[in-house]
Amino acid sequence: MNDLVWIFVLPALLALFSYIIRDIRLTRKMVPLVIWFQLFVAAFLLIPVLHGQVVRMDLTPGLAIDKLGAYFVLLTTFVVACCITHADYFFAVHERSELIPAQHLRIFYGCVNLFLTAMTLVFFCDSLGYLWIAIEATTLSSAPLVYFERNKNALEATWKYLIICSVGIAFALLGTVFVFAASQRGNCPSLNISELTANAKLLNFPLLQLGFIFSLLGYGTKAGIFPLHSWLPDAHSEAPAPASAMLSGALLNCALFGIWKVSNILLAAQPNSHTYHLVALLGTVTVFAASLLLLRQHSFKRLWAYSSIENVGLMLFAIGFGSGPLFFLQALNHSLAKVALFLLTGNITQAAGTKKLSKLHGVIEDSPVWAGLLALAALAVAGAPPFGAFVAEMSMLTLSLNDQRLYLAFFMLVALAISFIAICTHVGRVIFGAAKQGFVAWRPKQASIIPAMLVICTLILGLTLKTDTWTMIPR
Amino acid sequence: MVLDTFEALAMLAAMLGILILGTNDLRTNLAFYSMHTTAIAAETAWIGHLTHENHLFWIAGCVFLIKSVSIPYFLKWVIRKVDVGTDTGAFIAAPLSMHLGAFTVGLSYLISKQIPGLVGDADSTLGSTAAMSILFTGVLLMLTRRAAISQIVGFLVLENGIYLFAVTQTHGMPLLVEMGLLLEVLVAVMVAGLLLFNIKKSFEHIDVSQMTELKD
Amino acid sequence: MSSFTPEKVIETVAFLATLFLLPPLLVGVIRKTKARMQNRIGAPYFQPYYDLLKLLNKNETISKHTSWMFRSTAAFNFSFLVVLAFLAPWTSFHPVEINGDLFLILYLFGLCRFFTVLSALDAGSAFGGFGASREVTLALLLEPAVMMCLASLGVVAQTSNLTDVFNYTNVSLSTQPALWFLAGMGLFLASLVELSRMPADDPTTHLELTMVHEAMILENSAANLALTEYSHCLKILILLGISCQCLLHACPYFWHTTALIRGGASVLAIVMMAAFVALIESVAVKLRWTKLPEFIAYSVAMSIFCVLIALGRNL
Repeated sequence: MNDLVWIFVLPALLALFSYIIRDIRLTRKMVPLVIWFQLFVAAFLLIPVLHGQVVRMDLTPGLAIDKLGAYFVLLTTFVVACCITHADYFFAVHERSELIPAQHLRIFYGCVNLFLTAMTLVFFCDSLGYLWIAIEATTLSSAPLVYFERNKNALEATWKYLIICSVGIAFALLGTVFVFAASQRGNCPSLNISELTANAKLLNFPLLQLGFIFSLLGYGTKAGIFPLHSWLPDAHSEAPAPASAMLSGALLNCALFGIWKVSNILLAAQPNSHTYHLVALLGTVTVFAASLLLLRQHSFKRLWAYSSIENVGLMLFAIGFGSGPLFFLQALNHSLAKVALFLLTGNITQAAGTKKLSKLHGVIEDSPVWAGLLALAALAVAGAPPFGAFVAEMSMLTLSLNDQRLYLAFFMLVALAISFIAICTHVGRVIFGAAKQGFVAWRPKQASIIPAMLVICTLILGLTLKTDTWTMIPR
Repeated sequence: MVLDTFEALAMLAAMLGILILGTNDLRTNLAFYSMHTTAIAAETAWIGHLTHENHLFWIAGCVFLIKSVSIPYFLKWVIRKVDVGTDTGAFIAAPLSMHLGAFTVGLSYLISKQIPGLVGDADSTLGSTAAMSILFTGVLLMLTRRAAISQIVGFLVLENGIYLFAVTQTHGMPLLVEMGLLLEVLVAVMVAGLLLFNIKKSFEHIDVSQMTELKD
Repeated sequence: MSSFTPEKVIETVAFLATLFLLPPLLVGVIRKTKARMQNRIGAPYFQPYYDLLKLLNKNETISKHTSWMFRSTAAFNFSFLVVLAFLAPWTSFHPVEINGDLFLILYLFGLCRFFTVLSALDAGSAFGGFGASREVTLALLLEPAVMMCLASLGVVAQTSNLTDVFNYTNVSLSTQPALWFLAGMGLFLASLVELSRMPADDPTTHLELTMVHEAMILENSAANLALTEYSHCLKILILLGISCQCLLHACPYFWHTTALIRGGASVLAIVMMAAFVALIESVAVKLRWTKLPEFIAYSVAMSIFCVLIALGRNL
């Protein structure tokens, strides 16, 4: 046990305290501050691996972190900090219309902190077994978040989420068992990812392939890849806005990180196997399907949920080419823009009192700031030029063209174009037009701070990144 | 085909799992599930005895306590509270799904033969056959039943199949991983059980085929 | 017939004694066990014998609407069941080596049922009609279970002669305890239904809701009734006997022991199984008619497992 254990101590203690403390207003003000502090603590503790002084920092046997994991830990903590800060204002508006029982809020804050602990644990996992445990822990700790509103729809969404994700992760367990069996047949029995990657050529290849496919399908269910995504729109639209933002912005990255780790083992065993080509193909299929599904949407939050599915496809595409930095870049851009979008959506739906796209119009008359931020964030998530996602998507298309897989690039282009049109149309209808329903006048002044900050971050990213840095495949 | 104890216990577990499919009565399902998990715990203990790995005895004990005793006890309490009585409808009649389950044993055997490298030492095809048929049984249970509790039981049987697969093919994963797994399953079942109360309160039934409000 | 050695004579005498004297005792054991479970003393063990003798002394009442079928069914059934007792492997000692073919045995049971059903319909009462229809439905559902259990044993032994299958000398069957056990369980569950025991049918009540077998024999009286009751006892003996033999074959001990111990164990096992049936009857509830196919499905599932084992025996 060394100093790295402090990364987990703070959120775990905070989870306990936010459940115990009676005064819920104190919790609502205090938790964001502590989590921003946690961000600095994590950054400080992870400096050696971030600066490249060491390749990997060990915590205990089975828990170690490398550079990519460290970046993801920082991104996750940042996302949770932003969402929890905004949650205070969200609940303030919520309480004007409907009082929330203190117990529900205590459970919410307690589960958010448990959620943060579990997600941080995912990135630290160097053992396939611990990885499985951590990802299942994220499912279990985020189920109460989806269930916050406690109405019938939330119940249905939580049930689907719990059952589908648990079954999916059970198949990932089967994949883990296959990989372990492959290592045993190769006389180097181990669940440790670093050891498996080092000994990859010794592993029994057919079993390894089977293990990879099951892990891909299993963790992919959790990430929301195409045929297995049915829980995602429901869960992300029924959860309250800060929770949706956390689910989209942080949870999907964890599941994809799991796929990344297992795919590294497969790549080390045989660089160009057909099974590995499956990943990029699955990514393209997901992007294409999501973009088609974006065309007909009726609810504002479901729109962004499908956009998350599309971005998951893009990240899977990056993993499919073995590029860790590109995977992180896409995740970073997506998280920043999506969190901003979900928080703004939360503001707008609270003000308007409805989630339906057919009833939401004329936001620009009500609040030009929100409309402007919404437009910018929507362009960011769709991949328009001055924003960071454009760089990431350009790099990905370049990679696939370099690799001679033209058909993937073609479908990707078509899909990105369709989704761009869909998002712009829907957001345009929300922003412009005559306001048919009334907007609630009262809103906290700070409601736009966090989304504004996030949009500015993604703009800066877009302007300062250079394409060629990201297209190098480090292999 | 002479069965040694290792294979006999695995096939017994598979058979008891298939018998779960034969009835719509939720309490009978839980009773069969209890027996099925006890057989799996016995199999783990037997493998621990064969390979002299002591951690398998601990795992067997915990599997018995948690999955064979506590979880059925908890689910029986949930059934009593939810007052769902016994049965619900099913998409395929229960006897038919049981016969389908019996045929999956043959199917799993054919699949086990096809996967190269699966038969590790001393012809343990039957171990992986049993595990795969329990997996299929769990999937059948989840797909064809309508009560939310049957979905939980199906998920538990699925986990049992994967666990038996791990135990027969790889002689168990490391102790800490298995313990974490059992804990996760317990927490998942409890969360699902608590949700079930609320489903009964809100929807007045626990029929998942009627929970279709959220659609595109 | 082979030579008149002393063992053969003893075997024949034991066989005939068991065949003709044991069946009412089985019914006595069942009733006594049920009585004790219900905390009453119950009738003595030998009461069924006295009942049968009493019935033989009574006058017969026959409905005017019946034909020769009704009057002769009891005799037909009795004779078929005695022939079955010589063919079917219900015990380990047989005086004669007859070819007890699987299909012959199954269809002799069917022939008994055929005549019973016809006699029930012959009397023209409503009870007989619905009892007959229920009985035939159950027989339809049970046939795959019984057939597949016995046939899987035959497949492994490469013969359909059940006497050869059950005579403790077949090498390929001596290594299949799982198959014997599953076949025994399947046949036992099927026997519960075939013999109209709980949970399929209540043999003690005469209510419309619960009758299957009783409905069919309602019209009989005096000597006919005595013969019908006795035939039912014989059927209990044979069916429970086959299940017991399957379970005994599953224990490797009985393959290598003397004929005397095997014979004694067979008879004792039948009596114990009768007591076990009584235990089940005391504890189980009678299933609703529409739930009965689910119960039978368990027997069919056991037989499917037997088939899978039989097909996979060379693995």
